[in-house]
Amino acid sequence: MKLAFDERTEAFRREFDAWLDANAPAPEETTERPRSTAHIPEWARRWQRKMFDAGWLVPGYPPAFGGRDASLLEQFVHREELARRGIYASFNPQGLSIIVPSILGFGTEEQKERWARPILRAEITAALGMSEPDAGSDLAGLRTSAVLDGDRFIVNGQKVWTSGAHDADVILTFVRTDPDAPKHKGISVLLIPTDTPGVTRRPFGSIQGKVDCDFNEVFFDDAVVPAENLLGALHEGWRVATGSLGHERAMLWLEYSERLQELVDRGGQVLLDHGLGDDAHALDWFGRLVTDSHALRLLGYRTLAKTEKGLVPTEQSILKLLGSEAIQRSTLDVLEVLGPDGLDPTVRSAPAEPLNLDVWTEGWFDLYLRTFSMTIAGGTSQIQRNIVAEHVLGLPR
Amino acid sequence: MDFQLTDEQVELQRIAREVAERECPPSLVRAVVEEDADVDALGKTLVDLEWHGLTVPAEDGGSGATAVELVVVLEELGWAADPTPFLATTTQHLPLVRDCLQGAVRAQRLAAIAAGSPGAAVHSPGTIAARADGDGWVLDGSAPHVLDGDRADQLAIVATSDDGVGVFLAPGDKATVVREPSVDGSLHLTTVHLDGVRVPWERAATGPAVAAAVERAHEEAVTGLAAVMVGASQRILDLVLDHVRQRHQFGVPIGSFQAVKHMAVDLYTAIERARAVVHFAALTIAEDDDRRRLAASIAKAAAGDAQRIAAQHGIQLFGGLGYTWENDLQLYLRRAKAGEMLLGTAHEHRLAASRLVLSDLTTTEAAR
Repeated sequence: MKLAFDERTEAFRREFDAWLDANAPAPEETTERPRSTAHIPEWARRWQRKMFDAGWLVPGYPPAFGGRDASLLEQFVHREELARRGIYASFNPQGLSIIVPSILGFGTEEQKERWARPILRAEITAALGMSEPDAGSDLAGLRTSAVLDGDRFIVNGQKVWTSGAHDADVILTFVRTDPDAPKHKGISVLLIPTDTPGVTRRPFGSIQGKVDCDFNEVFFDDAVVPAENLLGALHEGWRVATGSLGHERAMLWLEYSERLQELVDRGGQVLLDHGLGDDAHALDWFGRLVTDSHALRLLGYRTLAKTEKGLVPTEQSILKLLGSEAIQRSTLDVLEVLGPDGLDPTVRSAPAEPLNLDVWTEGWFDLYLRTFSMTIAGGTSQIQRNIVAEHVLGLPR
Repeated sequence: MDFQLTDEQVELQRIAREVAERECPPSLVRAVVEEDADVDALGKTLVDLEWHGLTVPAEDGGSGATAVELVVVLEELGWAADPTPFLATTTQHLPLVRDCLQGAVRAQRLAAIAAGSPGAAVHSPGTIAARADGDGWVLDGSAPHVLDGDRADQLAIVATSDDGVGVFLAPGDKATVVREPSVDGSLHLTTVHLDGVRVPWERAATGPAVAAAVERAHEEAVTGLAAVMVGASQRILDLVLDHVRQRHQFGVPIGSFQAVKHMAVDLYTAIERARAVVHFAALTIAEDDDRRRLAASIAKAAAGDAQRIAAQHGIQLFGGLGYTWENDLQLYLRRAKAGEMLLGTAHEHRLAASRLVLSDLTTTEAAR
């Protein structure tokens, strides 16, 4: 047990830091903001490609896919430096962190070239079609059907919550290919171009506002998809689902940890600005936030160390729970300090920063609402508790 | 950060759990509470394992390990509600001797501690005064809530002198020590009265450097107590999990109900959160990192949160069966709760942590 990483890892961090200092785009280049999680402004496409070409986009990948075969710890400090500086490597986050690893993990060489590399190079963007109106937490209950007909699938059904679908070029879509098999067994995954006839995308506003349109309903009406767009083996889609989401969850805690650190800095400033530096109630919730912030990072470091040793950190599932709920509670704590100012959406929680399309440019109320994306999406807190109870504590189903 | 116990530390943890389970069963703790049974056999086992000297430097007769090894052991002893004066000796008395006293007195006392001589800390500069007189100091005053004051060979007394805060080493039998009633019957809380107790110059240390060392010693005491609380909370979780797996109602184990599961998970999460920051606090002590003061406070705060949920959910999930004297749950619950009440509650430590962080923020802001 040591406070520092090994020297090799720290050298890697310094090298990346120096590259960022020399290559990050200037603020005046970055004024155009993305309108969804699958819309990348031109300057951000150039930025993502620059990282790809330099082998800094996903350092764990081989050079052919924008990396440098970095070790797990090196990949971690890379993420840590990006998060610390509030830099987004990609403005199509689901493309980079879920869809590309799924294609590289389960796809053919042709699929990697045709889909993964263009997503990595920000030539195209991708969306993830998992949830359906009646398949949310119970994802395996999905009903969108794909019937194999010679060398093509005929797809019918509906997805929902498909972030960025209206701006995406392709949707990684989970479909039912064997309606007679047990529900986890009859699922397959298709890469469906969004310009396929029969695919209709309908964006809708979030609780943030009518114009905050990232979510989509996506309808498939006899959409014809070439059989070569099948990712992984037929009926084996559940493996892709667990693989993709597992990848997403492995380092999710780092984003939560950075958010908590930002809450410490920003929330602490709000508290001081309101003359609450000696207020016992304020110091109490702030102390809880400081404790949560440390605890989450430390627990994250522990799972990292275990993973690096080849162990399976089963307790990793508490990180999402702990992080998301701490962020939600603390954001509300800060909001309540503001009083009537908290009602004014133009009172920003932080100044806008280049390369960071972060929630900090919003007011505290909107920021609070957005925390529910953490306690609901990617497995609700209730589902997380069930998982921990059954898989970590060994309680009966 | 390499935030993982080393193989040696994991092995120490395994041995500590084995010893705690075998040598300190609930029946022993219960016998201590109910009939004041003696704890000499357990005490001797801990001496034989050389755990008293874990944080005594090797050149002073200890094993020269770090605070990390000590908290690993303390957590397991907390898990067993250890009724010996190990906690007071290793986390309260020892750091004052090691980091404040000098020369032969220090060396001899450290060697004695490593060999199992119990000690206590009387940390009460507000109520104990030391005045210079002839060939040494004379101490007067009283201090409440001193852990193991009645079982200490030596007392390390933090008192106020003309030369500022100092540390004074006096034999336990020079003080009048009165055991205080406590809900945790296996924890010795005492009031220590000093009435003209003489301490020779060489058995004392005063001055600004000593005051700083006293603060640092206090961080070890706080971290050690937090480790004990994590252990006691873990024991409650273990008991609860056994219970909800075995207890059937409506034809199924009650642990299959989501309402029960979610309470158990909240307790588990609180314990993991606390354990992480306790290990971090120990690590900052081991590496003498700048964050050690903050880390000790968040460790105690998080341990306090864990014990709160442990007591609350622990009794509730056991139902009527938890509401009995016979159930071992109460032994560990009392230890966890005692930990919360001593050396600052979670609330007080959250305030302390906040003040440290906010003062850093102010400094950063001013520097801009």
